[in-house]
Amino acid sequence: MTQRNDRLCGVLLLVLAVAYGWGATQFPEPFGGAESVGPETFPKVLAVVLALSSLYLIVKPDPDNAWPKGRIVLELVIAVAVLIAYTLLLQPLGFIISTLLAVGTLCWRMGAAPMRAYMTGAVAGVVVYLLFTYALNLALPLGVFSVLEGS
Amino acid sequence: METLGYLIDGFGVALAPHNLMFALIGAFLGTLIGALPGLGPANGVAILIPLAFTLGLPPETALIMLTSVYAGAMYGGRISSILLNIPGDEPAMMTCLDGYPMAQKGKAAEALAISAIASFMGSLIATIGLILLAPLLAKFALTFGPAEYFALFVLAFATLGGITGKNPIKTVLAAALGLMIATVGIDSTGTQRYTFGVLELYEGVDFIIAIVGLFAISELLFFIEDRAGGGKGPMKVNKLTLSFKEVREIMPSSIRGGILGFIAGVLPGAGASLGSFIGYTLEKKVVGKKGYFGEGDPRGVAGPEAGNNGASSGALVPMLTLGVPGSGTTAVLLALLISMNITPGPLMFTQNADIVWGVIAALLIGNFLLLLLNIPLVGIFVKLLSVPPKYLLPIVTMVAFVGIYSISNSAFDLYFMVAFGVFGYFLRKLEIPMVPIILGLLLGPEMEKNLRHTLDIADGDWTALWDSGLAIGLWVVAFVGLVLPYIVGPILRRRMNATQQGAE
Repeated sequence: MTQRNDRLCGVLLLVLAVAYGWGATQFPEPFGGAESVGPETFPKVLAVVLALSSLYLIVKPDPDNAWPKGRIVLELVIAVAVLIAYTLLLQPLGFIISTLLAVGTLCWRMGAAPMRAYMTGAVAGVVVYLLFTYALNLALPLGVFSVLEGS
Repeated sequence: METLGYLIDGFGVALAPHNLMFALIGAFLGTLIGALPGLGPANGVAILIPLAFTLGLPPETALIMLTSVYAGAMYGGRISSILLNIPGDEPAMMTCLDGYPMAQKGKAAEALAISAIASFMGSLIATIGLILLAPLLAKFALTFGPAEYFALFVLAFATLGGITGKNPIKTVLAAALGLMIATVGIDSTGTQRYTFGVLELYEGVDFIIAIVGLFAISELLFFIEDRAGGGKGPMKVNKLTLSFKEVREIMPSSIRGGILGFIAGVLPGAGASLGSFIGYTLEKKVVGKKGYFGEGDPRGVAGPEAGNNGASSGALVPMLTLGVPGSGTTAVLLALLISMNITPGPLMFTQNADIVWGVIAALLIGNFLLLLLNIPLVGIFVKLLSVPPKYLLPIVTMVAFVGIYSISNSAFDLYFMVAFGVFGYFLRKLEIPMVPIILGLLLGPEMEKNLRHTLDIADGDWTALWDSGLAIGLWVVAFVGLVLPYIVGPILRRRMNATQQGAE
C-alpha cells in the first residue's frame, strides 16, 4: 500500500493554508482604523488549523484508495464534460433538447442501450418541463422551441 | 404545561390541509430516496431543498415537507437491507443481520412490516423525548454567551466524526476547509475577502449549491466509476401475514431500541449508526439464548430499526435548540432553516414558536403517515427500486440542475455546482468527510461573529474564550470528542464488524 495520496493532498493543503493566511494579512484596513479583532482574525486562525492538520497528514498519511484507470477515467471525464455542456447549452438549445442530450448521454454511458437512453432523456425532459411550466409556474428556457410559443 | 399548548398550536399548523399534503409527498419521496442505494438521506434532502424554494413554499410548509423526507428516508433505508442485504445507508447495516435471513425464509413482507412498526415506535418515543427535552435545553442555551457559543461550535466539529469515525484529523481538516469557504465574500465590516474581484463571489458561496454539488454530483461520478449502473438484481415480496401476537412480541424490543436510539441521537458524536448498533447488541443481551439472532429473529429487526429512527429524531434536539447539527442530514436541514432566514437556536423557540412546534407535530404526523404508507404500499416502493441507477441517477442529477438553476437562473451557479461535485469526488477518494465542510460553510459566519464578539468584549484577550465554567466544560468535551476516536474507535469498529460477520 502506498500513502502518496494523503502526502500530496497534505502538501497541497499546506500551500493553500499559507496562501490563505498570507491573503488574510493583505486585507485593507477597515474603515475606522484597525482594532484588536478585524476581518483577518478568523481567517488567520483557520490558516493555522489547516496548516497543522495538513502537516499531520504529511507525517502520518492513511493508505491510498485505488484510483480509476484508463477507460473509467475517460468515462468520468465524459460525465463531467456532459454536465458542463448541459450548462452551456441550456439557454441556447432550451431545456427539453439539452436535457434529452445530457440525460440521454449519461444513461447511455452508464450502460443503457442508446435508444432507450435517449428515450429516457426525452421523456424526462418533456415531463419536467411540463411540470415546471404548468404545475409550478416556473419558466425554463424554451430555446429552439420558442418559435412555437408565438403561434 | 405551556409546552402542551404550543404542541396543540403546532398540530394546528401541521394538520392544515396543504401542509398535510406536502408531508405526504415528503414522506413518499423520502422513502424512495432512502431506499435507493447510495442516495442517503442527506443527499435526498439536499436535492429537494431547491425544489422547496422554487415552489415558493412558506417556511413551515417547506420544513414540514423536508422533515417528512428526513423521516421517510430513515424508513426507506431498510427496504434494500432486508430484501437484498444491501444497506441503503450506514445505520441500516444492523437491519441486514436479521432482516435478510427473514427475507430468505420467505418472510420479507413480515420483516418490512415489523421494521415499519419498530421505526414508528422508535420515532414516537424519540419525538416525545424531543418534546420534553428541547424546551429545557433551549432555556438553558439562553444563558450561553458568545464564548460559550464559539466553544459549542468547536465541539460540534470535534464530535462530528463520531466515536466510530476513522481519522479525526481529516474531520478537522474538512471543517477548516468549510469554514474557509465560508469566509469568501464581503464580511460584516464591509471588507472584501478572497473574492478576487469576481462579482458572483461578493455575496459568498451559496451553501445549497455546495451541498448539492458535493453530494449529488460526486455520487453520480462514483456510480460511473463503480460501473454500478445495472442495479442490484430483482426483488420480491411475499403476501403479508402478521398476527397481533407477533406485533406484541416485538414491542418491548422497539421501546428499548427507541429510548437508546434517542439518547444516542441527542449526544454529540454518537449518531444513528451507533444507535442502531447499541439497539441490536442490547436486544441480543436482553433476549439471550431464547432468541435466534442472525437467523431471522424479528426482534433483531425491531431493535436496531427503532434505535436508528430514535436516533434520527433525537439528532433534531441539538439542531433545533442550539443551532448545532450532529449529523449530515440535520446539517442539511439547518441549511434550509438558514436560507429561510430563520436563525436556529434557543431564540427560535420564542421567536418562531409556530414553526418549531409545527415541525415537531409534523414529525409525529409524518411518522404516522409513514406507517400507513409503508405497510400497504411497500410493493410499489419495491417496483420503483427495481429501476436501475443507470436511468435514475442521470434524472436525479438533472433535477438537481433544474433546482439550482431555478433559484438564480445563473449558469455560473451550475458551473460552481459541477466544480463542487468534482471536488467532492476527490475528497471522497481521500476519505476526507464532506459533512464537516458543509457544517463549516453553514456555521462559519455565526462562528466568526461569536469569536469577534468575545474578543471585542475582552479587548483582544484570547483567554476570554475559556473564561467561564461552562465554556471550559464545552472545550473539554470537544477535546475528548477529538481524542476518543483514537482510543475507542478501533475497538468499536472491530466489534461492529465482528457482529456483522458473525451473522453471515
